[in-house]
Amino acid sequence: MKKRVSTVYITMVLVLIGLSFVSLRIGSVSTTTDPIVYQNIVTNIRLPRILAALFLGGALSVSGYLLQTFFQNPIAGPYVLGISSGAKLFVALTMIIALEMGITLSSVMMIASAFVGSMLAMGFVLIFAGRVRNMSYLVVCGILIGYICSAITDFCITFAQDSNIVNLHNWSLGSLSGMDWQDIQIIVFFVTVCVLLVFFLSKPISAYQLGEGYAQNMGVSIKRLRVVLILLSSLLSSIVTAFAGPISFVGIAVPHLVKGVLRTSKPIVLIPATFLMGAIVTLFCDGIARSVFAPVEMSISSVTAIILVPVVITILLKKQERRV
Amino acid sequence: MIQTKKLDVGYKDILISNINFTVAPGQIVTIIGPNGSGKSTVLKTILKQLEKKGGSISICEKEIDSLKEKEYAKQVSMVTSQRLQPERMTCEEMVATARYPYTGRLGILSENDWQVVYRALEQVNATSLSDKDFNEISDGERQRIMLARAIAQDTEIIVLDEPTSYLDMHYKLDLLKIIHRLAKQEGKTILMSLHELDLVKSIADTIVCVNGKEVVKVGTSEDVYKGSFIQNLYGIEDDEFETHTGRMKLKLAEKTAFSKHVIMVQGTMSSAGKSFIVAGLCRLFKQYGYKVAPFKSQNMALNSYITKEGKEMGRAQVMQAEAAGIEADVCMNPILLKPTSDVGSQVIVNGEVLENMPAKSYFQYKTQLIPEILKAYHKLEEMVDIIVIEGAGSPAEINLKQNDIVNMGMAQMVNAPVLLVADIDRGGVFAQLYGTVELLEEQERNRIQGLIINKFRGDKSILDPGIEMLEEKVHIPVIGTIPYSHVSLDEEDSVTTRFDQKEENVINLGVVRFPRISNFTDFAIFEQMDHVSVHYMSNPHKIDKMDCVLLPGSKNTIADLKWLKESGFEVNIKRASKNIPVIGICGGYQMLGNQIQDPYSVEEGGYIEGLGLLDINTVLEKEKITKQVEGSFPKVEGPLACLSNQIYRGYEIHMGNSTGKEPLINQGNVYGSYVHGLFDAGNIASLIVQTLAKRKGISLEEKEFDYQAWKESQYDLLAQILEENMDVKKLFEIVGVEWHEKEN
Repeated sequence: MKKRVSTVYITMVLVLIGLSFVSLRIGSVSTTTDPIVYQNIVTNIRLPRILAALFLGGALSVSGYLLQTFFQNPIAGPYVLGISSGAKLFVALTMIIALEMGITLSSVMMIASAFVGSMLAMGFVLIFAGRVRNMSYLVVCGILIGYICSAITDFCITFAQDSNIVNLHNWSLGSLSGMDWQDIQIIVFFVTVCVLLVFFLSKPISAYQLGEGYAQNMGVSIKRLRVVLILLSSLLSSIVTAFAGPISFVGIAVPHLVKGVLRTSKPIVLIPATFLMGAIVTLFCDGIARSVFAPVEMSISSVTAIILVPVVITILLKKQERRV
Repeated sequence: MIQTKKLDVGYKDILISNINFTVAPGQIVTIIGPNGSGKSTVLKTILKQLEKKGGSISICEKEIDSLKEKEYAKQVSMVTSQRLQPERMTCEEMVATARYPYTGRLGILSENDWQVVYRALEQVNATSLSDKDFNEISDGERQRIMLARAIAQDTEIIVLDEPTSYLDMHYKLDLLKIIHRLAKQEGKTILMSLHELDLVKSIADTIVCVNGKEVVKVGTSEDVYKGSFIQNLYGIEDDEFETHTGRMKLKLAEKTAFSKHVIMVQGTMSSAGKSFIVAGLCRLFKQYGYKVAPFKSQNMALNSYITKEGKEMGRAQVMQAEAAGIEADVCMNPILLKPTSDVGSQVIVNGEVLENMPAKSYFQYKTQLIPEILKAYHKLEEMVDIIVIEGAGSPAEINLKQNDIVNMGMAQMVNAPVLLVADIDRGGVFAQLYGTVELLEEQERNRIQGLIINKFRGDKSILDPGIEMLEEKVHIPVIGTIPYSHVSLDEEDSVTTRFDQKEENVINLGVVRFPRISNFTDFAIFEQMDHVSVHYMSNPHKIDKMDCVLLPGSKNTIADLKWLKESGFEVNIKRASKNIPVIGICGGYQMLGNQIQDPYSVEEGGYIEGLGLLDINTVLEKEKITKQVEGSFPKVEGPLACLSNQIYRGYEIHMGNSTGKEPLINQGNVYGSYVHGLFDAGNIASLIVQTLAKRKGISLEEKEFDYQAWKESQYDLLAQILEENMDVKKLFEIVGVEWHEKEN
């Protein structure tokens, strides 16, 4: 058990370092160009992007893990439950209004509006969750909320001024491009704080896995834990959405991948591993997104969907088999 | 210790108010009550999962609200019936979760914590499960682990909400034994809800009963398992719960919907009077204007009757058909067994001989005849309105009940209601009825819709208290007490009173009582005549007092002929034949001849000398001859010359083929014939008796005796007796036909 954990952790760290180096070296501009230009590209474009992928991927995965624990539903995740879409809608609205009024949006404002959007979407999901016990219905509700939010977002984009459209459109597809060091500072700060908080919740989360009744009997303050879980998971996915737009399936798939590899359900082990694995997967997918059809860049969600949906399906089928 | 004072519990509104009970250390208190009565609500409130609505709960002398979450967690642990499905968690890890209140910020277990976990696993005998995945063990094992978990939480109080749900007996008992040990040996305070009232009775020190509105009782099992308290609490019938064991009893709806227009008569013993009652019922229903027929799936009798189609069937059904006023048909008795030896019978199906079979093989074979029985029954059903089925012997022969096709087996086949007839004349009538009913399976018992006491003599008011007590015990009404009567009917079995000693009369007819006598009803007509006695003789010296010797049929002519010779009858018959008429019918006729050969071993094989009184020889053939015959005698010589040109009617049934072909062979005083029922037609019997009287110098002005008319009167008499002594309306209700005033 312990041996497996340390092996997995060491492997993940090594893979992450390796992948980061590879990512630094690949791109539409090759090493053969002017070393100064190349250096500039690496430091100011590729490195921030890699760091963004690491932290945002990790944040998304941890957010997914929290939602799965909270809803006791294996296919919960910020994207599936419509939380990302809610965040997207509010960021889009804020952007349009801000551009209209000629104000430049700060990163913190982006995060704040995304957080408001995700909390609203989460509120709807919670209302439904209270009424439906069936896990599939919950997910259907989330998807429907996602559709409504996307529809409204599209509506807003249609009536926005032309100059804003390109910017908005790119963002709403989800992309890790165009991060600067200032963005990275904010991302690293917020994500680190949130993930650390989550890590220190691993004890009550482990109790929460037995259901609220047992958790309470063990001395967990259920009401407080619920609020904290919702706030943290929403905040994490808001950060991601604010900077990179909605990124699909990472939130669902990564926690399962981690549980499969570590073969445990202990949050204290799972939470850091989920963060690491989310970083690896997002970095890998972003690498593909920007290199396969270079110089044209794909949306990261397309890549994550293609790679992770089969993973999700396999996991679900295996789970079904185990139950029978 | 848990103590509640004026506690009110509920979800939105108050469900149960003013709950007061105390659970002391070492005590097991169990909450019982129907589903939705608030057991879980009470437990959840004590577990702080629900807010209490009023009053107070103190946990180890501290008010529950004043306890911080962690403090509470160190005082109270729980087990529910909820099925947890945690991902990738071993049993050991499951138990380890209980150490939550004792671990630090990150929830890492110390060495001591692990010791507690292992000890808890040991206490529930689940050490071997520790590394198994919690989702991959059985429900019973899972619940043990959950109990270990509660133990590992190291609390004084354990609250269990229906912990035994879903568990098989083994795990139920196992779990409760551990719980009991925790209370009694470790002084834990146990509060639980349970549905198994029998187990509650054994384990609970105090029982708290809730009914969804209030706590109706708090007391020991003696207080609670008393009277109809539990039954009222759960809203069940009084007899659905056994107070002294705490067990419930499943009372299935009785299948009262029996087939209509059919009734079956069964007896507590042979000769209880089944045939008699069936005949009477047939006549009774006929009198009410119904077309009715008797039915008996299987007859065991020496006597048989040949129908118009030449089919062989039991005489009893012929007699009953006569009472019903319809032509006898072989479908009224599809199976006939004629005993050929002590252990074997000739099996006759649908009137034709199938084969000889030892009793044991027949016992195995008979179920294959069920389709034949049903075919015959359904054919009969087409023909009549009501079928009265007769059983055989007793339905409570528990050694033979398997594969039964004639008593309850038959009743089941056609879903018939049953009347049970007992014979009071032979004593122990209540024991007969009670014993028979009690020996039956429950569903068979339910079939019995009425009891009949037959052959009663004396004052019925003396019998009545017994009847009442019996009815109370078996819950079946006695629908008739039939007085002893002298109605004479053709009987079926060899077991009758016919062979009893009789007084000498003016004319005495001596029938040789062969051990394997058959068709003795041939002489029944004489029994009905005044001045005539029919004596069945086992002692050859009785012949001297007779005016005529009759040799009846036999199921085994050769064996009975040997007996005739050994017993001294041969000598006496030969001597008597010099003075008085000797008449042999069928087997008796064959014996009177010179010899009987049995080349095919139909009976004993070989060959035997006859009495040599008639100059005929007989060969036993493989094929049985069965036919109805009719005709007139040619000129008859000898003492019975009066029979010349008389019309006769009857039937033949024999394996043998004799050289004498005439219907009546005569040589001196000796006569022989194959025709059964020879004496019944016209006034043949009467002529014979008058001749015999004349030979004695007595003149008997015997009127022409109309046997048929006499029999009719007997059937009417029988019906009248039944009608007067039975609850006819109840009878009609059982048969499922409308009762109405008799049409005249």
